[in-house]
Amino acid sequence: MKAKILTFSSVGDTTLLEYDPATADMEEVNRVIAEYEAKTGAQPFDLTTGERIEKVTRAETEILMVHPLAGG
Amino acid sequence: MEFAVPTVIALLALVAWRLVFAGIQGRTQLEEITRPQQEQDNVLEQRVRPYMRVIAGGGWNAGSYGIDLIGAESRSDSYLRRIVTLVGATKRGNSYVLDVGTKRFLVRDRSVRRMRNASDPKCGYEETCFYSGFQGMPKGEQIACALMQLRRNPQLFDRWMIQRDIAFKADGQLFDRVR
Repeated sequence: MKAKILTFSSVGDTTLLEYDPATADMEEVNRVIAEYEAKTGAQPFDLTTGERIEKVTRAETEILMVHPLAGG
Repeated sequence: MEFAVPTVIALLALVAWRLVFAGIQGRTQLEEITRPQQEQDNVLEQRVRPYMRVIAGGGWNAGSYGIDLIGAESRSDSYLRRIVTLVGATKRGNSYVLDVGTKRFLVRDRSVRRMRNASDPKCGYEETCFYSGFQGMPKGEQIACALMQLRRNPQLFDRWMIQRDIAFKADGQLFDRVR
């Protein structure tokens, strides 16, 4: 089974990263997520529960990086 | 026979020159076709784009990801339905009703209302707009993002209303000016 990290952008849903949760280095996955958040402001949500994820574990298999919204 | 060799050489040279010329012309046309699409991105996309290449190993535009934009719109609706269920919202007309604690929000395309009294729809509301830094993001996905963020942090509504054109992360932290 594959896990994936996706986001919504101008071209719709876009997969940023796919990995095998059974074998992946989860520290590396979390490092990639942290770097992506630092660059873009997007934060990870579990697409199975709808909850914000502080740290991704092998249990989450579909993660949505939700980008900041602005008022206007 | 002694004229045949120079004639063949001249013919091959002519063919080679035509091929090189056609290649240069084709590349120029390709650049003209792709450049306008690359220039339409806004500030946030310019920030995201180089990083996306690193992670996804591809380009930014739809063609380089092989994304079918019509399919993307259809998947957008599918993601919206899924997220509406996840956050416990309900569809009412073209809006989505989201209750967070004592607050009731009506979210629709780039606009959200906060009812003054959740139990009485006639008592008035406050309204603000919201938008993503990604121009052209399918509206279903924008609504889905707003629902997820408001459910997590209903105070975002006040920030969107007061601090316009400032982007906030889902947890309420200020991110950056979008425009």
